Amino acid sequence: MNQLTFAIRQEAARILEENVVDVVIGFEVGTLPLKAQPAFITRKEEAEKLVYNGFCQNNLAAYLTRRPKEERIGIICRGCESRAVRALVIEHQHDRDKLYLIGVPCTGIIDWRKIEREVGENTLQAVEEGDEVIVTTRDGEHRFQRVDVLHDSCKRCLHPNPVGADIVLGDPLPEGDPERAWAPVLEFEALPPEERYAYFVQEAERCIRCYACREACPMCYCTECFVDHTTPRWAESMITPSGTQAWHIIRAFHQTGRCVSCGACERACPMDIKMTYLVDKLSYDMVQQYGFEVGASDEEQPPFAAFTLDDRNRFVR
Amino acid sequence: MNDTWTPRIVVFQCQYSLYCEADQKWMDTQLPPHIKLIKVPCTGRISPLFVLNAIQGGADGILVSGCQPEKCHFKEGNLGARRQLDEFRRFLTYLGMEEERIRFAWIDLSERGRIQQELADLEETIRTIGPIRRLVTRAIPVGEKL
Repeated sequence: MNQLTFAIRQEAARILEENVVDVVIGFEVGTLPLKAQPAFITRKEEAEKLVYNGFCQNNLAAYLTRRPKEERIGIICRGCESRAVRALVIEHQHDRDKLYLIGVPCTGIIDWRKIEREVGENTLQAVEEGDEVIVTTRDGEHRFQRVDVLHDSCKRCLHPNPVGADIVLGDPLPEGDPERAWAPVLEFEALPPEERYAYFVQEAERCIRCYACREACPMCYCTECFVDHTTPRWAESMITPSGTQAWHIIRAFHQTGRCVSCGACERACPMDIKMTYLVDKLSYDMVQQYGFEVGASDEEQPPFAAFTLDDRNRFVR
Repeated sequence: MNDTWTPRIVVFQCQYSLYCEADQKWMDTQLPPHIKLIKVPCTGRISPLFVLNAIQGGADGILVSGCQPEKCHFKEGNLGARRQLDEFRRFLTYLGMEEERIRFAWIDLSERGRIQQELADLEETIRTIGPIRRLVTRAIPVGEKL
């Protein structure tokens, strides 16, 4: 058990005992190796179940909008989760006073797909040891460098440190490099239009419309999603090219200025569809156009909600 | 491009944006058949989905006609729309659409006849870049009428 897990368990037990919160949302050991699963801890004795490691791949902020509004929630927050919580508080999805954020500087999430591609599907056990990930399979032991198997979103993470947390466990990490963060967007943009469209079609056409990306996303909390509307039907809900493309375009567009780039959508996708390149472009534009970054401040509204007459001369004609 | 091809154009028009009665009358009654007029209560009502639907259905060009910033009938509907639709155009361009296909005309009180000019300009641009090929995913209606 690593030190961080121990500190998290202690803190969770403390806030439950002192009745600061009703529930602590964290991770517990999952049924499969390489995959920890979210845990909802309501009694202090249960805090022993909590774990924290690189296999914790969900964005826990997604559960915030799915819990009752009056509930007091303690939540384990990595960089992306804390920014998502901030954005949700700005959008009045939960009262900040009712939240207790246990901040954890994050060294990145390990992409189980990358490991599975290397070792096949027979992983028996997986542990982290410093900068290494040790995976035991029936054929023996495999060692990976942590940086090689990080999820793509975590590789280009800008803010690994939690913002606005009530308590931060662990040492702060250096901030990410913006150049590295935006490189994929700029590279994609430099391609000729036909290739960009071909790539988009190739990714979108594999979509089976399971909406796992929507469920995994902390910012997708609409009671009724536009794809679920039947009258009028805005977008086809079948796996037609028109339907899947519309879903990918509009899902990304609804995240404009709200996406925290945690990559939970990609990790949740059963078809391994790349989709962060879509919303990263929109986030990049928001930084370029409006100087807005999600989670940078705890009161600034996202650009699409913060329009004023100062925009007067922004758009020509 | 051959001469028989006529671009299909969809116009999203804020119902308050044409202050000149003659212009509005022209839009309502004398639009050529390849231009489809869709009136909305305010440009703020135009969801990016509307624009996407038009493009997927085979519109070669889209004109969004709205009011100048201070002149919105609903005070600030157009301000939100401007931010959203401008970004949406950039996003579709990122996915391979030609940027010129979506055009905005923020029309002022005094600009009589501007809408006809904008439509002509858009049509000319579309003629040079040709019919839309990318992002069209639904069956395109036959003939020039939308």
